[in-house]
Amino acid sequence: MKSDEAERDRLLKEIAKCRACRFCVDVCPTYQASGGVESYCAYGRLQITKYLLNGTLAFDDALTYCLYSCLQCRRCEVMCKSKGQNLDICDILGRGRRLLSQRLAEEGNDAKL
Amino acid sequence: MRSSKTLVSQALKTIAGNLARTGDPLGLKTIYWTRWAKDLHLPRRGDVLLYTARMYQMLPYVVRATDMAAAAKPVLPMLKIHALARMAEMAGALAADPLLRLQGGAEHEIRRRGEAALKGMVTALAAAGIRPAYLHEAEPYSGVLLHDLGMENEVPALARSVYRRLKASGARTIVTTDPHTTFMLREIYPRYVPGFDLDVRHYLQVLAGAASPERVPSTATPPRRVVFHDSCVMARDLGIVQEPRAVLERIGTQIVEPESRGQNTACCGGPVEYGFADLSRSISAIRARELAAGATDVVVTCPICLINLMKHEKSLGIRVWDLGELLTSFVLNN
Repeated sequence: MKSDEAERDRLLKEIAKCRACRFCVDVCPTYQASGGVESYCAYGRLQITKYLLNGTLAFDDALTYCLYSCLQCRRCEVMCKSKGQNLDICDILGRGRRLLSQRLAEEGNDAKL
Repeated sequence: MRSSKTLVSQALKTIAGNLARTGDPLGLKTIYWTRWAKDLHLPRRGDVLLYTARMYQMLPYVVRATDMAAAAKPVLPMLKIHALARMAEMAGALAADPLLRLQGGAEHEIRRRGEAALKGMVTALAAAGIRPAYLHEAEPYSGVLLHDLGMENEVPALARSVYRRLKASGARTIVTTDPHTTFMLREIYPRYVPGFDLDVRHYLQVLAGAASPERVPSTATPPRRVVFHDSCVMARDLGIVQEPRAVLERIGTQIVEPESRGQNTACCGGPVEYGFADLSRSISAIRARELAAGATDVVVTCPICLINLMKHEKSLGIRVWDLGELLTSFVLNN
């Protein structure tokens, strides 16, 4: 769909604003609960979303877990703002989910981005 | 993590299917959300409408559903997911009611607390001179789960339908009881409902702004010293931080602040419970331990936080209260 492609481009531009300072990593509750796996924090999830959107990674079980285990609690955004960047991280991840969810509901295990 | 794709896919299909079929995210056809209001005789129409969106009332059924998933755990993960999916489909032919019948004392205790919280809110609003209307059995679900899980295509039609029903009550102000519904009505509905003109307020905003007489609480209940847990949605999405503290102070309760508080609060783990119960429990354990370090009585303002932090009451020796429950004790004791 054309609208999906336009949304992908917008999301990639947003994600590109991340300076990779990684201050958001430690404050993520899922990162803390998983014992420090960077795929389960805001920075990791932004990178995964980027590589899914640009086709570098395939949409599999592990990445589904990474993206759908985000609490959308926005604690990372408080840190991002305090470091002068102010990305709408959860909005970006939520919009990424939106591109995936309809496909997941319709195609199940065969869903691709 | 294994079979996450199937699991999330099934969860999305089940929730959207349940809503389409029954109007309820759990797929229940039984009207379970009106019991708390049975003796309150709230009018069906009025300027000010209380909108619970069934959130507190569905708590025991949510716990039942997650307990069922946990009970299926010893079986191979894939088998578990397919079996649950099959059960959901079979139940879908009729309703989820036979599957989600409340069983143990814990589920009834959760129902009691949820109902006490809602009654407390109404009692406190009445003390502030507000007697809200309530839609009773006609009260719809807000669709917040669809939004949270990225099923945004399903949201606009539901938002317009809920809006029409709220407007039909004659209400101009909607008083909400939980942060998730408040966020949905304030931030998401206006995107999809042309001319959205309802004044949406969380009940704590109403109470904090209301002029009510100074009161001295009973020595027995509510607790004199509590640690307060800010809900993520309440603090970061809605910016409601001072209001619950103002209400707690007004009822004479001393507040202990945890290290993570206000805008920097820590999540209870609730948002991922739909599919990742183990992760959710680990997150709630971390938060519950932090809160338990402050006081043995913990106060929350969100039904999701309530059931997630309650899981650690026994192990940590704490009691988790919804602020609404304290209002019941407070007003009745005065």
